[in-house]
Amino acid sequence: MGRQRRRVDRAAGAGSGTLPEAIAALSRALPCGPSPETFRRAKFDRPEAAPALWQLLFRVLSPVSEAGATAPPAPEAQARLVKAALRSEGYPRPALAQLPEDGSRGSRELLLALSWLLARRPLLERLLARTRVRLGDEVAVCECEDLAFGRANTGLPALGLGSELHVDIRHVQWLMGKLRFQWRNLVSTQQEQCALLSKIHLYTWGCHSDQSLGHLSATETEVLRDPEGSQQLLQVLEQENAHLAATVEWRRRELVFWQWMDTVLDTCPQQAPDAGSQPVFLPKIPDHRAGQWELVAGEMQALEEELRAAAEPRRAAWEAQVRGQSRDPAWSSALRALQETVGQELAALRWAWDQGRDPAQPHGLYRLVRSEPGAPAGRGLQAAEVIGALRSKEACLEAALRQLQGQCRRELARLMGALPGFVWISSPVR
Amino acid sequence: MLPADCSRRLVAELRGALDACAERQRQLERSLRVSRRLLRAWEPAATPAAEPTLGPEAKGEHLSPACTPSSQDLKELELLTQALEKAARVRKGISKAGGDKAPVPKSGSTVTPVTTTPSHLQAPGQADGRVSETSPPRGICQTKAPTKGHPERRLLSSEDRISWGRGARATRPGPGLRDQQTAPPAAQQAPEAFTLKEKGTLLQLPMAFRKAASQNSRLWAQISSTQTSDSADATTTAKTQFLQKMQTASGPHGPGLSAAEVEAELGRLQEACSLLRLRMEEEVAAAPVDWKQELRCLFTLEGLQALAGQCLCRLQELRAAVAEQQLGPWPVGGSRSTLSPCGAGADPARGPRLLLYSSTQELQTLVALRLQVAMLTQQIHLEKVLMAELLPLVHTQGRWGPRELSLCRAVHSLLCDAGERFPTVLQDEPTG
Repeated sequence: MGRQRRRVDRAAGAGSGTLPEAIAALSRALPCGPSPETFRRAKFDRPEAAPALWQLLFRVLSPVSEAGATAPPAPEAQARLVKAALRSEGYPRPALAQLPEDGSRGSRELLLALSWLLARRPLLERLLARTRVRLGDEVAVCECEDLAFGRANTGLPALGLGSELHVDIRHVQWLMGKLRFQWRNLVSTQQEQCALLSKIHLYTWGCHSDQSLGHLSATETEVLRDPEGSQQLLQVLEQENAHLAATVEWRRRELVFWQWMDTVLDTCPQQAPDAGSQPVFLPKIPDHRAGQWELVAGEMQALEEELRAAAEPRRAAWEAQVRGQSRDPAWSSALRALQETVGQELAALRWAWDQGRDPAQPHGLYRLVRSEPGAPAGRGLQAAEVIGALRSKEACLEAALRQLQGQCRRELARLMGALPGFVWISSPVR
Repeated sequence: MLPADCSRRLVAELRGALDACAERQRQLERSLRVSRRLLRAWEPAATPAAEPTLGPEAKGEHLSPACTPSSQDLKELELLTQALEKAARVRKGISKAGGDKAPVPKSGSTVTPVTTTPSHLQAPGQADGRVSETSPPRGICQTKAPTKGHPERRLLSSEDRISWGRGARATRPGPGLRDQQTAPPAAQQAPEAFTLKEKGTLLQLPMAFRKAASQNSRLWAQISSTQTSDSADATTTAKTQFLQKMQTASGPHGPGLSAAEVEAELGRLQEACSLLRLRMEEEVAAAPVDWKQELRCLFTLEGLQALAGQCLCRLQELRAAVAEQQLGPWPVGGSRSTLSPCGAGADPARGPRLLLYSSTQELQTLVALRLQVAMLTQQIHLEKVLMAELLPLVHTQGRWGPRELSLCRAVHSLLCDAGERFPTVLQDEPTG
């Protein structure tokens, strides 16, 4: 049976190797990957293959902080998270949601889910990237990490708030002050760390085997200071190398895997489309995101109102002006030209937010390397450029903040000014 | 007192911000501890040959046989040390007289971590240390000071190695022990510990490590090249076919939107909002000079209005889609999972990306700006939240007693000055 399959596959996937090799590469490349036998059993929906696949999907889908946890939660909790995460990803098949959560069944469905994830994105590379060993002193150049920080924390339900249902505004003021203080603390700690790193780079000048780097990073120096403690680092590095090598092999051989997955999908019984009867599996968590929707919708609506209020009188004034004028061709062509220019400008504006981030801007983590100011360019990003970009971003953000604050100021002044019997002296504008 | 749901939301938001800040602080302090430890004198850790940290008391009994110095060796060592002292003095005299343009010692591949020099040579080292501390931290300048000491050290250590034979391969802390052996009369001088400042340039990463690291970068480069070349070949078609099959096999549920995509679009719409607003302010503030400009202003405003309307529609569509698909919130808050990475994760293998800086000042500026940008982003977000929660409260005040006034003052200070200043309210007593 095996030999037959092999012959068939060899004919089918010219040059891409055999199925067992592909599956073996996949299982080596995945973190806590199940054995190749599990994959085969899963095709036939054998129950013994299910637990391993549940665990694997849990590892893959849990967020960064939990992925490294040594004690995985109970199988039911794992299964629930996997289901919720897949639903959140938009997994199309309803059969997954109907699997029992004790982890006893469903290996074929899980195999399909895994392949779905693998097909949509370079999953293996991303898994490896998130646990990548960083040997240099890395610094993030973009703010994506910041947003992730912010969102990660505001998504959590506020704990222990049962007792403090009503707070005074002074509590809010206190929290804001505390936040300000913490930021200042952070800045000074960061400055110290930079000074120390700079010294380390300076003192270890010239001893890196990689000439383009020139000096050791703090991590590497730590390796030298504490050879025993760094044995672990070396092990992790070697493990990562093994995973990487397996991923490279997988990339070479994966075609035959996809052909096999087609057959797996075919062996599934046809799903009777059960429209509308999708039971809700998670209790309705008070979604913090609901607040965000409201904010954005409210802003957008307010904006539209303001635009209407600004445009309508101008339109009316214009119509009144134009009423008497004759429509000669020069006039209408000028009109059209103007409309086109404005249209282009607005399209450019739309593109600015549609495209999301500016691809020209640097992103991600960069390794800090100290170098002479006159060094040849092209080696990497220059700090001066980044500083320039950051300064302009800072100016933009400051302007936005001022604008918001000004808006509040005007509104409050208007409100207070209307009150009889009080004199409202606003704080001086900076 | 603020109403319950308002309180809850505000406190949750602020606590979240505080937690995020605290997390950054924790990570930073961890790295700071490491860096501080690296810059202090390194404690004699165990040699790779096995023993745990050895105390200053002569633990000679625990020395491995290969390292036990015989009396003959000790005598030789004594003589050698004296000779080296003399050499150091002479050399110092020479280097003081001549120019001090010593080049930065490029440690060749043969220099292994240097053995510690005998304790009495610490004096020049200390002098160097002081000099380098007083000179301002500028790029190259500082290396000149320590290099005065280095040529001496290098020579000494190589000579040390020759005479100490097989023991010489030991890493720097090991011979600290020998120092005690050779100089017991000279008061219990602490073994010369390794300092990065003096001997940093002579370090070299262990071979195993270097091999693993270079293999690592090679493999990542390989992965990135296979990713980019992956455009329109058999594998990609097979994958797309599989995905389509999965979709159709699942029944009439439409193409799934993932929570991450929804969030990304929400972010884009927020960005749209601020861009549109900025543009509107520009147009409204501009004073049109002639009819062309007036018309242009009109068209722009109407165009902006249309765009805002479109965005609102899209927003409502997204909301409906989320509700229909019952896309729950991401299970454990935050989108920091594998499947929606930021730029850092999206293209992890793009070669070793370097950020080059040339002075401590520059690095500090860069990092301070990064933090400033992050802080401003957070502040803007908080400002919007506060506006949404607190302004309605102020609007709905019924009577205006002292409590309401103080609430108003507090709200004003929070919203308009980030809590730094307060407005004044004077009661206008009618006279007479």
